Amino acid sequence: MSARETHKTAGFVLRSLQYGESDLIVTFYTREFGKIKGIAKGAKRSRKRFANVFEPFSLTQIIFSRRNRDSLAFIDACDILDHFAAIRMDLEKTLTASYFIDLAEHFSPEGKRNDGVFALLLDFLPLLTRENVSEPIIRFFEMRLLKAAGFEPELAACVRCKTPVANGSPYYFFPKEGGIFCTACARPQRYDQSISAGAVRTLLLGKDMDLEKMKMISMTESLASESRSILCGFISYVLGREVQSLKVLEQVRRYCP
Amino acid sequence: MKSYAQPIKRLIAELAKLPGIGEKTAARLANYILRATPEDVEKLAESLVEVKRKIRLCRICLNPTEEEVCHICGNPARDQHVICVVEEPDALAAIEESGVFHGLYHVLHGALAPLDGIGPENLRLGELSRRISEGRIQELILATNPNVHGEATALLITRMFKDADIRITRIAMGVPMGGDLKYVDKMTISKSMEFRRGM
Repeated sequence: MSARETHKTAGFVLRSLQYGESDLIVTFYTREFGKIKGIAKGAKRSRKRFANVFEPFSLTQIIFSRRNRDSLAFIDACDILDHFAAIRMDLEKTLTASYFIDLAEHFSPEGKRNDGVFALLLDFLPLLTRENVSEPIIRFFEMRLLKAAGFEPELAACVRCKTPVANGSPYYFFPKEGGIFCTACARPQRYDQSISAGAVRTLLLGKDMDLEKMKMISMTESLASESRSILCGFISYVLGREVQSLKVLEQVRRYCP
Repeated sequence: MKSYAQPIKRLIAELAKLPGIGEKTAARLANYILRATPEDVEKLAESLVEVKRKIRLCRICLNPTEEEVCHICGNPARDQHVICVVEEPDALAAIEESGVFHGLYHVLHGALAPLDGIGPENLRLGELSRRISEGRIQELILATNPNVHGEATALLITRMFKDADIRITRIAMGVPMGGDLKYVDKMTISKSMEFRRGM
């Protein structure tokens, strides 16, 4: 029988699931181990050891032990490093932060370390505490997450003829092809929606833009709608399902604009 | 389980579906039921069937009740101008146990949970809107749980009724009575400082 190894790492709480009467199975995105799942015994009833520590998108310091990489971790201790109070006090920010961690969870296989995904959460969650939610912040997070997870869409040039994006002509995004086609290569049908070079350029800009400059970017309604349709459509295609938290975000916006 | 007769196996399997009951506890309960008198077992079975047959949601506050209108909504002595909004019936029961609230309730039957796909359309908010539009309500007390889901639900309700002519309040958060500050977590301490009151 192999001995249990104990580890200490920083991790974002992605999700917690009630297990039995008082235990929780918590999913974290950690710096050193990527996505891990662990059981916190007695967490539901805990008033000292695990009080308020397993709330979604909180940054925590966890101590856990496990027999091997594939086994469920046993959470020995968990301390809050940042519970992002400013996000929790704002509905739009809470929904956006939920979407960010939902995406991070979906695009992360268990036990695979990915410094890019961790750094992204470490950048964008504090950004949400300082700035209001905006379309560019959400879209740029999606772009960067897709890149970090290895699913970056090809937007700089036509997937087929490799001609770089130029102003003026419309483009067509095909999720199955993983990128854009110019009008000549796309041979669009009537139902294919074109996207402007402006939308494509804005998304390319946001891929590597300095975080502090992001607040200076604004998107017109049509640009925002085009960018949303490209990225959300692509994410649904890659995952093979809709992202629940995005559905709720849109539902809330419809329900009380 | 193998050694048990078929009807006992079935009983154990059914009991094990209950929350917090594992197979061993279910087997212990099944053995207790086997030893109990036929009258006691009949009473238990009848109460199970009765609770499912007779209990429905109150037409007004959506709390489970035997009548069309629950005993709280039907009591004219309760303050008809204040609604306390809770996530689940057990939260209502906890507030009622305290005996300090004399207004009405509204049970949402859930809380906003984006990661689980639970949005406003999955909560009983339409009924709350209707009650408020009737014009009698002066105050809405948001008593959803003090966690991310409960907070988001409270913010959603605040946003929904920000233009209505009613006072919207949130239950206080802070250190528990009889507690010891050194054992209270950081977030609760920060909330208790935020919601401190004058003496």
